[in-house]
Amino acid sequence: MATETQSLAASPPKDADERDPVYLKIRDLVYQACGIYHSEEKLYLLAGACKRRMVHTKVKDPRQYLDFITKPSTRALELRELLNEITIGETCLFRSQPQLNSLQNVILPELIATRGKIGLRKLRIWSAGCSTGEEPHTLSMFLLEQSEKLLKGWNFEISATDLNDRSIETAKAGLYGPYALRNTTDLYKRKYFNSAEGDKLQVKDEVRAHITFSRLNLTDDTKMLFMKGMDLIFCCNVLIYFDIASKRKVVQHFFSGLQAPGYFFLGHAESLYQVSDQFRLVHLPGTTTYLKAVPGSEGARKP
Amino acid sequence: MTTTTSANPELRKRVQKLRSLPSSPAVLLPLIDLLRRPPDEIELSQVVQLVSYEKTIAAQLLRIANSPLYARARPAESIQSAIFTLGIQRIEDILLANCVGNLVPQDKWVINPTIFWRHSFGCALVCREFAERIEFYDPDKAYLAGLLHDLGIIVNSLAYTEEYRAVLAAAAQDGRPLDEQEKETLGFTHCESGVILGQTWQLPDAVCEVIEWHHDIEHAPSGNPLIAITHLGDLLCRARGLGYGYDEWRAIDLAADPAWTDLSRHCPKLGSIDLARFTLDLDACIVRVTGMVDTIFSPH
Repeated sequence: MATETQSLAASPPKDADERDPVYLKIRDLVYQACGIYHSEEKLYLLAGACKRRMVHTKVKDPRQYLDFITKPSTRALELRELLNEITIGETCLFRSQPQLNSLQNVILPELIATRGKIGLRKLRIWSAGCSTGEEPHTLSMFLLEQSEKLLKGWNFEISATDLNDRSIETAKAGLYGPYALRNTTDLYKRKYFNSAEGDKLQVKDEVRAHITFSRLNLTDDTKMLFMKGMDLIFCCNVLIYFDIASKRKVVQHFFSGLQAPGYFFLGHAESLYQVSDQFRLVHLPGTTTYLKAVPGSEGARKP
Repeated sequence: MTTTTSANPELRKRVQKLRSLPSSPAVLLPLIDLLRRPPDEIELSQVVQLVSYEKTIAAQLLRIANSPLYARARPAESIQSAIFTLGIQRIEDILLANCVGNLVPQDKWVINPTIFWRHSFGCALVCREFAERIEFYDPDKAYLAGLLHDLGIIVNSLAYTEEYRAVLAAAAQDGRPLDEQEKETLGFTHCESGVILGQTWQLPDAVCEVIEWHHDIEHAPSGNPLIAITHLGDLLCRARGLGYGYDEWRAIDLAADPAWTDLSRHCPKLGSIDLARFTLDLDACIVRVTGMVDTIFSPH
């Protein structure tokens, strides 16, 4: 199988260097340290990020780069820089269509049924580490679009938090260029944006009205305790920057911040393996998420 | 074996009377014998012999070996060089898709054959990877089980072509599992019809059990971990876009599935598997399977 794996695996072109087994070591290192995983067909992305860092750090080959990233004196800083390279350009509006499809077809109907039963007709959503606002704005537009159908008679509010003040300010402005809008359909552009300077579009007030932006440090235990009663939490490519102890603590806060049943979404390649055994990994078409189940209901959801 | 089909004599009669279901294709049993063995125990001459069973196969193998997918420097001109290029596993896959697929006339395929084989080969590959990860003792058998688990879909397409078209359309429309829709509309599932064909063809008992029980873990006979492996592999494939050609709208909690509990008794390693990582790795398998199946079925 080995030869066919190489010739069949990746859709993007590979050069010989990207097959260097050193990248597998770097892959495992990144996964252990940060919880972000590159499968065989995504390895070229990691190799690309490493190469950009190699140019920057003037390291000659992947093997030396592995030394550089494992050496105690440079390890922590370089890992952070590499993660920046890995996640660069990942933010755009409507980044994950499978995630939105699953929200619409599986998760929202379930939440409406369970929350509706106790008379609550409001959904609370937290976008943790919202960066420049692409995620909360996407969610707000997506939920507004559902408000005439699934969510008729329901309200929703989105708490969008980030550590970085400047990101928050940018997010509040809601101005996006063509690159950030590359996945946004014309329907959404027409309905939820106004034209702004140059080729930029600005998110309409009705979209922003559902979002509260604020600065929050996820490791600030006191403030985290206030984030309660959430139905959905999104935290994409943020935990990867934390060490394992902080990661566990933050995820514990997310867990207690959610009402059951409630869902916790991570970035596409992130995993909670060995971080939390309270959340349950569930599969949805083309995506995965973590479920905070109603206590005692384990095993009840028989596929 | 306690078969549900014995409770459904009408179905058994209808399947056995099928004129279009011949006894097993000549190449099938020797092929299954090969599939059950680890590749290093297989001799080239056996493969060449199997390939020669059918004239069109040789031409097809050469076409695939010379496709851009394999990027050979010089074209493969003999069966031997095609076998070297493709590898024994791939040859077996192509043979199986041919000898089983040829049973179904073009107008009787209710499900698009490309979708069916993507699902079957995808499930085979996922079952084997999964079996290896959890240190199940016979990953090649898991491959075979995954490959043949949905034989009943072929039976249903042949025996109930028009009704089955409606079943598939209704299931796709509502994004619900195919077996549920079958049960509701036909009164039986592809498990019950598939096992009749499996038994008629004298497939190994363990594989027949997989065909019969992979959607009904709670009633499955204990002691055959292949059923649980295939059940879970099947669910994973359907969640990652290698299903029956549509998305099934539900959340699947594999670790809460009875098959998971059952399997962990046979394979203790299951308890520590990193399922998120495994799922991401599967996406690479899926790219491979899609490429392979599309090459097999690309126009000549």
